[in-house]
Amino acid sequence: MKKLGNLVLVAALALSMLTGCGSSDATTLKVYNAGEYIDKSLLSKFEKEFNCKVVYETFDSNESMYTKIMSGEQYDILVPSDYMIERLIKENYLAEIDWSKITNADNLMDQVMEQAAYDPEHTYTVPYFWGSVGIIYDTTVVDEADTAAGWDLLKNTKYAGNIYMYDSERDSLMIALKALGYSMNTTDTAEIDAAYNWLVEQRDTMDPVYVGDDVIDNMISGNKAMAVVYSGDAAYMMTENENLEYLIPSQGTNIWYDCMVITKNCTQTEMAHNFINFMLDEENALANTEEVGYLSPVQSAYEEMCVSTYEGVSAYTIPDTNNPLNEVFGYQDTETKKYFADVWTKVKAY
Amino acid sequence: MRQFKNLVKPYILWSFLLIIVPLLLIVLYSVTTGGNSLVNIRFTLENFKKIGEPIYIQVFVRSFRLGLITTIICLLLGYVLAYVIASFSERAQAILILFVTIPMWINTLLRTYAWISILSDNGIINSFLTLIGLDPITMMYTDFSVILGLVCDLLPFMVIPIHTSLSKMDKSLIEAAYDLGAHRWQAFWRVTFALSIPGVINGVTMVFLLSISTFVIPKLLGGGQYVLIGNLIENQFVSIGDWNFGSAISLLLAILMLLMINITKKLDKQEGGGDL
Repeated sequence: MKKLGNLVLVAALALSMLTGCGSSDATTLKVYNAGEYIDKSLLSKFEKEFNCKVVYETFDSNESMYTKIMSGEQYDILVPSDYMIERLIKENYLAEIDWSKITNADNLMDQVMEQAAYDPEHTYTVPYFWGSVGIIYDTTVVDEADTAAGWDLLKNTKYAGNIYMYDSERDSLMIALKALGYSMNTTDTAEIDAAYNWLVEQRDTMDPVYVGDDVIDNMISGNKAMAVVYSGDAAYMMTENENLEYLIPSQGTNIWYDCMVITKNCTQTEMAHNFINFMLDEENALANTEEVGYLSPVQSAYEEMCVSTYEGVSAYTIPDTNNPLNEVFGYQDTETKKYFADVWTKVKAY
Repeated sequence: MRQFKNLVKPYILWSFLLIIVPLLLIVLYSVTTGGNSLVNIRFTLENFKKIGEPIYIQVFVRSFRLGLITTIICLLLGYVLAYVIASFSERAQAILILFVTIPMWINTLLRTYAWISILSDNGIINSFLTLIGLDPITMMYTDFSVILGLVCDLLPFMVIPIHTSLSKMDKSLIEAAYDLGAHRWQAFWRVTFALSIPGVINGVTMVFLLSISTFVIPKLLGGGQYVLIGNLIENQFVSIGDWNFGSAISLLLAILMLLMINITKKLDKQEGGGDL
């Protein structure tokens, strides 16, 4: 009986090791991307073209992605946002991109390549999508004249009980800081406190609902008058509900970039570069941006979309990167980050 | 029998790796600072002190209040349901209990999304109300929607233990009560209910513990402003990345739950009067 017990133990251990290490197949590429952020048919197309297997997993926020990779999970390619990339570069988690292997690099827009405070030389990053943060509103409810108020539209009591805010400390405090005329990259606690008061005042007078991705379905079915959203989601919503319009507030907003990066522990460097190059192919980039609704960094795909699927959709336009009020929201030091988080908990859980 | 003890060994290893080690890690995280990597830790009680801030106390109070309301509603509905089911023939009982558990085969998330499309401002109920000429009512993102979601999700946990203790009961005891001159109400209260107390206590404990630690349902049906203990813990781990504070809250919650289980067990012994 003792032998049997040991056998069970060995079998259990062997099983767990098998599932733990993954297969020994030489051409498996592990990709970790945000949810609903790719045209899935591209994955099978890539597998066929390069005779390999893609293990594709998704995350719901940059923070949860970071938590997962820090707990030891390994991927070859990640698609994080600018501020998270800054953090990963600082923490030495990324491998350099060999741009000689990215033959489709010429397809990329100059604008996206020039303005990249998170990685100025693009040593580690290849742009994937980009865009802005703004307000989507129902034109049948919201008076056009009120939109001139920019972010303060979110405090117009005419629409009390009729708005969605985004449940994220970064995005909400960004809005409050911009509305007050401060930079979103401030570390001055007096300015952050002022932003906190702005949000508390908004909470008390407007009774907003703080939501996540459920805002997409809610706005399409016209449940409330306005919502804070990312431009790509806005573009998608606008194609589903023609009463919606997108506003980039005059006080300035957050211009963000999501990029493909290769991790330090990637073993399939060659295949990873193939994948990145594949995504920048004009035809593939077109399919991807059409499916997802976010702005493609590939010039031809962007131009094609502007005259076809997203014609007249104001959320699908290049944001004004020359306006000094529009900023890239950089990585925050631990103290500011904690301060943001505490302030946000206080706004929500009063 | 002695030889079979060896068969338990893999399980001991298993539970050590999957239960004891993570628990010890939570304890370690909760009394240190220095982030997730455990490289440069420093021992402190700051994390527990932070829970004492009014804003977090409020979150605890709100969670317990919600748990209590959910438990009471579940108990009232669940007891009636279990009582009715127990009065059927044995075959019918098996089928009815199956009906109670069927919703549990469907993913909680899916069921919650179904509630969203029923309750939302332009949802099924409100479409119907406007159709018959009434004003639509706001149901989503309120106490009502959260409690409704929780009750629907947790009701089986109340019905099953109560049903088990009711169906195990010896029916001749009730007849004896009638013979001894008890009214229907007396017979119910002093025999049926008294004998079902172990089931009730089990159900109450399970529903209460599950409802104060939940985070998916309040998040989806209550919106982001509906911060309960579960959401607070989730936030600390997933979006804020303060594992130390998150662990401290988790540990405190675990201790509170253990205390409650202990108290209910004692109640069980006093009031249930042991086995009959």
